[in-house]
Amino acid sequence: MTSIEVSNLQKTFQTKRKAAGLSGSIRSLFKPEYSSVEAVRSLSFQMEAGELLGFIGPNGAGKSTTIKMLTGILHPTSGEAKVLGFTPWIDRQKLAYQIGTVFGQRPQLWYHLPAMDTFILFGKIYELDDRETKKRIDYLTEAFEIKDLLDVPVRKLSLGQRMRCEVATSLLHRPKLLLLDEPSIGLDVVAKQHIRDAIKRMNQEEGVGVLLTSHDAGDLEALCKRVIIVNHGQIVYEDRVSNLKRKFLTTKMVEVRYAEEVSKDYAINGVEILKVGNYGVKLKFDTTKTPVDFVMFNLSSVGDIVDITISDPPLEEVIAKIYKEVENSSLMDNPRSRKSIGTM
Amino acid sequence: MKTFSKYWSIFQITLINSLAYPGELVGRSLMIIPFMWIFYQLWKVTFSAAGADGGMISGLTLRDTLWYLMLAETIELGRPPIARTMSESVKDGSIAYILNKPYDFLLYQFSTAMGETIFRAMLNAVFGGLTVWWLVGAPNHPEGFLIALPAILGAWVLHFCINAMIGLSAFVVEDVSAFTWIYQKFSFIFGGMLIPLDFYPQWLQTIAKFLPFSSAIYGPSRLFVTPTAEFFISVMTLQLAWIFVLVFLLIVAYRRGLTQLTVNGG
Repeated sequence: MTSIEVSNLQKTFQTKRKAAGLSGSIRSLFKPEYSSVEAVRSLSFQMEAGELLGFIGPNGAGKSTTIKMLTGILHPTSGEAKVLGFTPWIDRQKLAYQIGTVFGQRPQLWYHLPAMDTFILFGKIYELDDRETKKRIDYLTEAFEIKDLLDVPVRKLSLGQRMRCEVATSLLHRPKLLLLDEPSIGLDVVAKQHIRDAIKRMNQEEGVGVLLTSHDAGDLEALCKRVIIVNHGQIVYEDRVSNLKRKFLTTKMVEVRYAEEVSKDYAINGVEILKVGNYGVKLKFDTTKTPVDFVMFNLSSVGDIVDITISDPPLEEVIAKIYKEVENSSLMDNPRSRKSIGTM
Repeated sequence: MKTFSKYWSIFQITLINSLAYPGELVGRSLMIIPFMWIFYQLWKVTFSAAGADGGMISGLTLRDTLWYLMLAETIELGRPPIARTMSESVKDGSIAYILNKPYDFLLYQFSTAMGETIFRAMLNAVFGGLTVWWLVGAPNHPEGFLIALPAILGAWVLHFCINAMIGLSAFVVEDVSAFTWIYQKFSFIFGGMLIPLDFYPQWLQTIAKFLPFSSAIYGPSRLFVTPTAEFFISVMTLQLAWIFVLVFLLIVAYRRGLTQLTVNGG
């Protein structure tokens, strides 16, 4: 079953332009100039019910604008979208009962009051019975480990604690779909892990679908099965996260430690030597150009290996590489670009 | 019932929230004391210069004028800055959370506005009332307050409609401070906030009394000092007519504004 279906969605904003300085301000007062910014261009994708879908891209890529259109807050310039069977900008209120949202940079909890007050208020807003609200709060406080935080004014909570409460609040009414816009922004490693674990649990236990935008590739790796990468308002890559890794994680980093001293002229064909120490070497190679067994053979022929570490580059580097390849291949204006890049 | 209960809960939580900083709430309300003292000095001199010591100007005694101004200030100082709040929520993007919940956006705004109004207005009425009592004595018609109460609530509904309409313009222009400034000045002049409209020349009185600003300030304040059945009916009729017109315009403006909204931020 499809929970989100987007077809040729487009959003163009009119932005006022003004030259710098006083004269520019005066001129713009009498003759304002506007330019069009295409925040989202011909966006089409689908998301299955209960799916964990990552929606990533650099700043200004159109991720948040897309989420705001999918929640019905923004009207698109053109195109179609169905979220859980509703057209968001027409059936915004009906849809609101079925979805939960978290905008990482904006609090929805009442800042001066304890989070419990917001939970109770949301229970009323989503028209839950008092008993049902209480039961749900008990369940969510256990899942998000926030029992001790509920009676503390939100302003006194750390960002990590607050975000756990924010996400828990958005799940109070058992939404079928959770739209998370940068939920891990500004969080430390432990807080991120807490949030990710809780979201994963809610997905497994309640089957809630999650559409997640993030700058953090860690969120993607930990949570999502499928990823859509957007840039300049268009999809530039769409695939399973495992395929993304397989296709793009072709560079391996190797650190080797030998029993004997290593020659300073250490070299292997097709391998980039990053650092040569007295007993160790750090190198990098592309598995599509240089076979792994060839590199391993050469490494062991130099001397007795005491220790070896082989690692993939961080996913962030992979994503940056995709952005760069898209920019270079000038496929940005072609809506089909994602297929070309997807098969690279 | 559930629908009413959600707006009642929004009203309640805003009410509780307004008590988060009681010192600030009380401190702000104390401002009405110097205002009333200045009004007293000003109108005492005016009545004296007009040769109306202990008498009346245009049907109002000094005592009536002061009690009138006390209620006018209470209504004005009690209302929250709805337009500015809406404009800020558009500017900082937090409107995204207000719009994506299953409630009517305008009723949500109204519930929060009333939640913010109650304590502010009550404190203003207490401090303002005590000051005026001390300066000129008890009101001539204490029962006038109860009679004026529906008109006071109506005044806040009117204020809400006008301010929400200004706030909605933030959907398009983002910054609404110029509009709120203009509205405030119109309220001062045509609402009778500084001078009871009865003291205006007849032609200006006629114009001012038919504008919505007077229904939001002059009407309830004058009713407090002249609580007659006839005046009650005339104030409430005009006020309800304006509420009807402005609510209609507000709904139209909201529906139009929603399609123009640009939500800022990431």
